[in-house]
Amino acid sequence: MTDTTLKTAARPPRRIRIADLAREYGVLVIIVVLLVALTMLSGSFLTPRNLLNILNQSTPLFIISCALTLVIIGGGFDLSTGAIFGVASVSAGWLAVSVDPFFAIVAGPVIGMVLGALNGVIITAFNVHSFLVTLATSLVYRGMAILVTNGKLIPVRIEEFSWLGRQKLDLGGGVAVNVAVIVMLCFMALMMFVLNRTTLGRAVFAVGGNEEAALLSGIRTNLVKIITFAISGAAAGLAGVITVSRLSMAEPQAGTGLEFEAIAAVILGGTSIMGGAGAVWRSMAGVLLMALIGNGFNILNVNPFFKDLTTGVIIVLAVALAAAGNRR
Amino acid sequence: MTRKLLAALLVATALSPAAALADDPIRLAFLAASSQNGYNDATWQGVQAAAKEAGNVEVEIFDGEFNAAVQYAQVEDIIAGGRFDGIIVAPNDTVGIATALEEATEAGLLVASVLFPVGPDLTVMTPQVKGLTTTVASNPVIGATAGAEEVVTFCEGKDPCKVVIMIGQLQFPFDNLRYQTFQTVLGQHANIKVVATGEGSYSPDASLTAFQDILQANPEIDVVLSNADQHLLGVEIALKDAGIPIEPIYLIGGGLNAITVDKIREGLFDATASGYPFSEGFYAADALIRAKQGETVPNWIDPATLAKNPPIVTKEWLDANPDFVAEWEG
Repeated sequence: MTDTTLKTAARPPRRIRIADLAREYGVLVIIVVLLVALTMLSGSFLTPRNLLNILNQSTPLFIISCALTLVIIGGGFDLSTGAIFGVASVSAGWLAVSVDPFFAIVAGPVIGMVLGALNGVIITAFNVHSFLVTLATSLVYRGMAILVTNGKLIPVRIEEFSWLGRQKLDLGGGVAVNVAVIVMLCFMALMMFVLNRTTLGRAVFAVGGNEEAALLSGIRTNLVKIITFAISGAAAGLAGVITVSRLSMAEPQAGTGLEFEAIAAVILGGTSIMGGAGAVWRSMAGVLLMALIGNGFNILNVNPFFKDLTTGVIIVLAVALAAAGNRR
Repeated sequence: MTRKLLAALLVATALSPAAALADDPIRLAFLAASSQNGYNDATWQGVQAAAKEAGNVEVEIFDGEFNAAVQYAQVEDIIAGGRFDGIIVAPNDTVGIATALEEATEAGLLVASVLFPVGPDLTVMTPQVKGLTTTVASNPVIGATAGAEEVVTFCEGKDPCKVVIMIGQLQFPFDNLRYQTFQTVLGQHANIKVVATGEGSYSPDASLTAFQDILQANPEIDVVLSNADQHLLGVEIALKDAGIPIEPIYLIGGGLNAITVDKIREGLFDATASGYPFSEGFYAADALIRAKQGETVPNWIDPATLAKNPPIVTKEWLDANPDFVAEWEG
């Protein structure tokens, strides 16, 4: 009887814990399930080379999603990251060919930062929702990318430029990691530090949670918003430079749709679309989930017709798992 | 008095409706699948060149944004606006746009289709739309068959000959048709094994990602058969990244852009199926101008039969024709 009573008494906390886990780590559960399934289905999946391959392929999306996390936690929305990626790509490509490859590598993120800051200034100066402003500026920025190239590709076959996307560091044992992956990991660590260990990070949470309260408590909310958009722009620029460096080719349409992939990854990871809550690691998990699906399809040589369908179903599962946790 | 009569007669002639018609320029609209695309840009340059050569022809480009609905609306706007004499369309949706183009021809507009025929059957090059003036395109099955047969030739004596197909997007009817053609031709040879198919989406970046994944499961391949040169750019980077020598692998693309021509000359790529964007634009505009002037024009113009280069361009052919310049950059 005592045992039974004890067991009964012990059950409710366990249920709560499972529900909390589902809400907190739903995306991780799906990732683990996918990892196990893909490992069982293909002997080529769980190899250091393929895992590094997945990280390398998704580096631009990881970088953009990390920075976008700050924007969304701060209560904003950035639909211009794909277009900024395009402008930075073609600008860096053109600068690498016409001016200097190293200057081009630095210029890409700087151009992105300026365009991102411009988004923030327009949003705060005119008090317009970031969704509308970035939707409009994305058209402007995409137009700029097309004007730079006249709609054509820019070949950038310069070793001093392509090292960023292609060079690898030997880790020993036949395993080598791309420089771009290291850059991405450093950027992720920086974003985690900014969000969790700095005054700016706390201000971002405050602005996204309750802007009015943040303002009354002395936080310069407009400046915080501008900074988050500038960081998002710089990240899109950096991602663009890495992509051009890897492909040795700049194209004005580069990054089309990337903004939606990044937003999907951030939301999929569990960062609140309403702002005020979230984490950089969550967005990384969201990107990883989407990358695993794509990698799995290609490795297993599944008919591409099923890719979108499966991706959609898995995303719904992940979101439903988190929502189920919330309901409990 | 006679002079005054003559002058009056001249003035009256100049002001007559017939004279006004003779001086009116011919106005053509080019509905690009997307104005921000290298292939369509070359087609547009061809349209402009034909207009310049004919004289007194005005041309205007419309951006289809790779969106079938946008292009459909553009046709409707042109019919309603009444500003144009003819439409040259690079269709985003070869079936859906047919209804709008029929309305255009009924409204008296001349219509030419480039790159693909308009209608339900992509292999029928003669008009499937009532009143269509001409189609300037090559049968996609012929190009795809020629590319696949090059692979068959390369694979002779190699068993198994492992092939990866990199296709644009299988949701597009024309890419699906090319893919089926590849499979049909290669499927007739027991030594050829298609080990994987990747979608390149006409992007080097997407191709790189897809091909890197394919290489994880299939590190030993003999051939990459693609319908687009852009895909081979991604494939090349993936092979280099994996430390796999490129030269032994047979790489064949499609489109014949300048970047690929350089790669074939360097010996990195092996061949590409020809594409004729400038010629398509030129022949289409020329046909509409002539039709407007009352001439009879053919209802199908195949740029492949009019071109100097063969359907499949190889290093041997390029070496023999060092002055050859591709019709588009890439």
